[in-house]
Amino acid sequence: MVTKLRRFSRKKGLKIFSFALTVFLLVSAIIQTYYIFYASNLNIESLFVKDYVESDGFRYGEITPAINDVLNKITVGKKLDYIPKYFYYYTDGEKYYNNITLSEIIKLKYHYEYDGEIWFPKEKPDDYNSSDKNDSDYLEAYYLVGSDHIYDISHNEAQDGEMKNYTLYIGFSEEHMQQKQQEWNSDRSEVLSKVKLLVLSLVMSLICIIHLITVTGRNPEDDKVHLTPYMDRIYTDIQFLLIILTLVIWFGGINNQMNYTSDPSDVLSMDQIVMMIYLGILSGIALIICGVLFLSMVRKLKARKLLKHSLMYAIGSGINKYIRSLFDIKRFENYPLTDSLNRRQIIFTVASGLLVFLFTIFSLLSTILWIFPLMLEAVVIYWYFYENRKTFEEINLGFQESLKEQMKSERMKVDLITNVSHDLKTPLTSIISYVELLSKEELPEAARDYVNILADKSGRLKNIVSDLFDLAKSTSGNLPLNMENLDLKKLIEQTLGDMEDEIEKSNIRIKTTLTESPVYIYSDGKKLYRVFQNIIGNALKYSLQGTRIFIDMEVDNKIVNVVIKNTASYDMDFTAEEILQRFNRGDKSRTTEGSGLGLSIAESFTRACGGNFKVEIDGDQFKVKLRFTISGVVPLPEMDN
Amino acid sequence: METAKILVADDDKEIAGAIEKLLKMEGYEVIKAYNGMEALDALVSNQVQLIILDIMMPKLDGLSTMMKIRDSKNIPIILLSAKSEDSDKILGLSMGADDYVTKPFNPQELLARVKSQLRRYLQLGDKDSNNSANKIVIGGICMDVEKVELTVDGEPVKLTAKEFKILEFLMRNAGCVFSAEQIYERVWQETAYSVENTVMVHIRRIREKIEINPKEPKYLKVVWGIGYKIEKI
Repeated sequence: MVTKLRRFSRKKGLKIFSFALTVFLLVSAIIQTYYIFYASNLNIESLFVKDYVESDGFRYGEITPAINDVLNKITVGKKLDYIPKYFYYYTDGEKYYNNITLSEIIKLKYHYEYDGEIWFPKEKPDDYNSSDKNDSDYLEAYYLVGSDHIYDISHNEAQDGEMKNYTLYIGFSEEHMQQKQQEWNSDRSEVLSKVKLLVLSLVMSLICIIHLITVTGRNPEDDKVHLTPYMDRIYTDIQFLLIILTLVIWFGGINNQMNYTSDPSDVLSMDQIVMMIYLGILSGIALIICGVLFLSMVRKLKARKLLKHSLMYAIGSGINKYIRSLFDIKRFENYPLTDSLNRRQIIFTVASGLLVFLFTIFSLLSTILWIFPLMLEAVVIYWYFYENRKTFEEINLGFQESLKEQMKSERMKVDLITNVSHDLKTPLTSIISYVELLSKEELPEAARDYVNILADKSGRLKNIVSDLFDLAKSTSGNLPLNMENLDLKKLIEQTLGDMEDEIEKSNIRIKTTLTESPVYIYSDGKKLYRVFQNIIGNALKYSLQGTRIFIDMEVDNKIVNVVIKNTASYDMDFTAEEILQRFNRGDKSRTTEGSGLGLSIAESFTRACGGNFKVEIDGDQFKVKLRFTISGVVPLPEMDN
Repeated sequence: METAKILVADDDKEIAGAIEKLLKMEGYEVIKAYNGMEALDALVSNQVQLIILDIMMPKLDGLSTMMKIRDSKNIPIILLSAKSEDSDKILGLSMGADDYVTKPFNPQELLARVKSQLRRYLQLGDKDSNNSANKIVIGGICMDVEKVELTVDGEPVKLTAKEFKILEFLMRNAGCVFSAEQIYERVWQETAYSVENTVMVHIRRIREKIEINPKEPKYLKVVWGIGYKIEKI
């Protein structure tokens, strides 16, 4: 049940619904707030104060204006521009001003008495007119009603005057107060209903927000945190800034527009309705943007990536890494010379930076001390270049040394091959010659057999030695090449013609698919002949009786590929790499003929001639793939006699 | 024919000894030398018809010895060497050697080469009849176009009509490389179409007849990927 609920709560549709609902509720709450506070005539205070008499609305809305008006009328002679709904009685012991008798005002249920001092200008101007007098001469005085005292908060000190004690009564009629109380009550009930709705919206949106926070990043399938592809790639601090920016624009937009709307009244004006729509759209957009960004941040927080995935973190760690790499001397562990260069560079940079800093400080303080960093810097520069030059010379020396060493070893390799070749061939010549002489002697039957075996084996040894040195020369890059433009197609045909006896003897047919036209490559013909001879010879030797050898040749965009395929007569229990290793032979059990170097020589010669050589084994299929680059087509020179 | 005297110069005494015995079995007279100086000394006091000379020898190496000999004598020289590169062979032959045999050699092949060189040398000395207009001579090969006869080092060799024509064509243009098509069109007088194999097989047959070692031909050579030629000697 719980898992079912959890799964349901994580459904994508529900998430979107919840998000939309939140936006809707919050927008409506904002519009309601605007309505209550700015568009309607409703008095919020009525929500908290039950009796009108107790309210600030009464105190500051009726009593304070009344006192102000009466006192201003008396002191500076400002006339009332309305017919007062209240009653007043003022006395300073000598004079009194009133619109009702003292006994009558005291009888009223709602009357208020104030005592205090009041300041009178010297000449009380009866013909007071603010336009032809300096305003500062006859400033209005404002009085604020405390709980039961009047505070004079502004008075004119530009003129001489006198202070007088006074007593002021302000009274309201019963009918007036009752009417006000009724209005108060109706306001109260309306505000209450509006506020209830507002609170409900807020509570519901809060629930939705909590739901969104819990389910965002979670799938119905598992409990992992899933980041949303595009949104969550924005760096956290950028997201945060975007939220702030959106809020600023939102607030600015509203504030700006609010100035142009009319004051609250009982009926909504046109511009207020427009304002509410504008407010709704603006808030909706702002809420969607902020909501999406906020939820993305929540997801990152869940995945514990909130701080790590921020631009500041990325920049910080990048700088950190860079600085570390600058001071990382591990790379130079095995190279003392470059290590010393690196160390010197670090010291030079840091010291120079420090000296420049000191120079700036001293010259800003305009002390003559700036000369010292300058001199020190000169010393540092001299030291840096002097030491570096020494190191560079050492490096050059080492480089030359290693080059010499390399050339020496190369020469030694060539000499070694030549000398070993000679040293092996000389005794072999003797062996072969004396075996020949021996075979001409009169020998018993058994001895004759032995001599034959010796002749056979010494012949084979001769082949092996010869192949071995060909291979050694080729792999060490000392194979003399005679490169020329030649027709690969012709070369293959010539090789096949040359090997015809062998092919006929083997009972294995060869099927060739060659190109129609000549294919010219730049290579060494004699070596390539050796390559094909070895490959085809190998194929003839190790093919299953009755199968065919396929030689395919095709040209593909300046490249010619030759594939020689045969079906092996034995189980090929080796890999393509193994077969090319020196001394490995296709059939491990057969050791009677050949040097076992055939394919290795073919590979090495092909590479020396500028081609590619590859062996593939596919079941019983043995494939040799050769690849050469086609040279510019050079026609065979015509020879006439 | 009196027995020919052969000088064998090799610093390896066993090899010199083996060659000596082989040659003696064939009825030649042999003088041995173990370095270049000895070889030169031996030549002073002996009338020698052929020299087998090892290249790598102490005191005076084979090539220098050969150059000294060539100053005064025209006798055939067969070079012996463990160096088997083409460049080494070409160097040796261009410096005046008549043949080049690489170690380890096949004793029978060496004998064949000795015989062929001697035949050529002695015949050339005997009768100088090779200047006839009907004869083409390249090295030891002598072709009589009129009589349709071919001798290699004096030995008659039998060729088929086609083989003779191919060889004649190539010998007339010694040193030039011809493709199978060109050879076919000249010899068969037909348009050539995929004739590589046919020509190659004929070339191989001819080689077997005229070369001492067909695998390392001296005269008739395949220029791989291009064609065929008779070496101009």
